Amino acid sequence: MQLVVESLETKLGKKEIVKNISLLVDNQKFVGVVGPNGCGKSTMLKSIYKSLPPHKGTVVLGDIDVLKTSQKKISQKLGVVGQFNEMHFDLTVEQMVLLGRTPHKRLLEVDNQVDIDIVEDALRQTNLLDYKDRSYLSLSGGEKQRTILARTIAQQPQFMILDEPTNHLDIRYQLEILQCVKKLNIGVLAALHDLETAAQYCDYLYAMKDGRIYTSGTPEEVLTPETISELYQIKCETYKNPITNQLGFVYQI
Amino acid sequence: MNTEKGSSVRQKQVFYVFALIFLICAIAITAVYSVSIGQVSIPFQQSMQIVLHTITNGHLGSLDQVESDSYTNIIMQVRMPRVVFALLIGMGLSLCGVVMQAIVQNPLADPYILGISSGGSLGATFAILVGFGSGTVLSQFGVAFGAFAGAMATSILVLVLSSIGGKVTSIKLVLSGVVIGALCSSLSSLVIFFANDAEGIKSVTFWTMGSLASSSWSKVPIMAIIVLAGCFLFLFQHRVLNTMLLGDESAITLGINLSVFRKLYMIIAALITGTMVAYSGMIGFVGLIIPHICRGLFGSDHKRLMPASLLLGGLFLMWADVLSRVLVENVELPIGILTSVIGSPLFIYMIVKKGYNFGG
Repeated sequence: MQLVVESLETKLGKKEIVKNISLLVDNQKFVGVVGPNGCGKSTMLKSIYKSLPPHKGTVVLGDIDVLKTSQKKISQKLGVVGQFNEMHFDLTVEQMVLLGRTPHKRLLEVDNQVDIDIVEDALRQTNLLDYKDRSYLSLSGGEKQRTILARTIAQQPQFMILDEPTNHLDIRYQLEILQCVKKLNIGVLAALHDLETAAQYCDYLYAMKDGRIYTSGTPEEVLTPETISELYQIKCETYKNPITNQLGFVYQI
Repeated sequence: MNTEKGSSVRQKQVFYVFALIFLICAIAITAVYSVSIGQVSIPFQQSMQIVLHTITNGHLGSLDQVESDSYTNIIMQVRMPRVVFALLIGMGLSLCGVVMQAIVQNPLADPYILGISSGGSLGATFAILVGFGSGTVLSQFGVAFGAFAGAMATSILVLVLSSIGGKVTSIKLVLSGVVIGALCSSLSSLVIFFANDAEGIKSVTFWTMGSLASSSWSKVPIMAIIVLAGCFLFLFQHRVLNTMLLGDESAITLGINLSVFRKLYMIIAALITGTMVAYSGMIGFVGLIIPHICRGLFGSDHKRLMPASLLLGGLFLMWADVLSRVLVENVELPIGILTSVIGSPLFIYMIVKKGYNFGG
């Protein structure tokens, strides 16, 4: 499924956070957004999935005009894994993942065997089968985030938005999450804070600064020392990692 | 490994079903026991015959062994409405407790958190001390009306206040509730300060302690319709209630706009609470502690939590009512005192106990 965003503008109070952004995620492509804290990545993603309705612009996902469609319809096609958030009440992992079926259910409809199977499958994909009956709040950060990913997979979306899903996670959990998403083979738009992971997983990158797209292209085109210095206000050198053959970075203030 | 897990899930399911059946039986037995005690003590056996005989319209149970004809009257006309009231209000309070805790995503919430109690008190205080009328019947109606009007007015005010500037968030709701509550309390104090009416002030005090003494069949229908309709509605809202626990951001990505449901649920909960406050005054702690006990036993999934809370809430208040009548001879303690006296140690036990961390 294709995502087309055109001239998106979002204000928080009177301050303009997202300024005239247009971007495109082609079928089944993994597209990343990089940029320093406060550059408007999160706000832009929230505007796209309408948690923070934008003031201007259009968002078209497949054949749906997102800004004019009900939240329920959108959530049947679009899954979101957000930044880590706290909860005050506890659920088991299975109950948590089962909530991912919500968009496909009418208000009074009960969960049936099909839903249970979908949940089971999502748990398998995220390696959480053994955690099914565990309490969500007792899990570690990485396991919690995997549970959220499982919930989003159970939503059976055809497109996924990730908002720094690997924040605060150890390297292994970061890789597990992104690997799992990559395997789904659906369109993904992801805000990422780690440039090496961005280079490794993304087919295409948008670099954001001060609420605008600074530049875009393949990871090799975007992640140049000049662009990175400009974005993050640091000195940076890039090199080809001799072991992984991927882009590596060295930073200095 | 898997079969072990499967059987533990099944065990939980069986435990839950048994718990529900147990609660229903306990409620039935408590009802009969409850109508057998009071100023005139009627043996349990005879109470059961009378209740059975009356509800089945004479098909079951016989009145042959019943010692006095007046027993039927005492049980069916005087005591039964009170038992029904206790059941309904217990259910209503724990229903609103569960809903409010989900709405504000805070385990500290209870039905009164949004200023409804202070608003109801202000209305009742006003009705008692300033007055809508002086005849006994009229003044009784006046207090109920005042309390209901006060409760509804504060809820609407809280809702409006928390809607200013866009989304109704849980924090705005709680803070608005606290502010409006404080305002109403001070206004009540103002009315009391200027009232030169010792008798009236005493009634106000009694009213705030809660009582089921005014129950009668004539009041049951309104109460029953509102509470049972509310229960019926919320029993099927577990999906939305569960997503509420996740917070606004996650709920939106699951296609549910919490802002809308919060408003709707709050209005319904306020209507139920307002009606309960109007008829029975303030009965504290039930709406706070029953949901927590049930969460500790059955988890936070509202599909299980809701039915269990309703039944346990009803049962709890029925027993509180029984105790309020038998603890001190010839004196009827205000039920609000009892619920707090029983509720606090239970709550302390839950804080001390390690297994339950209030859902969070």
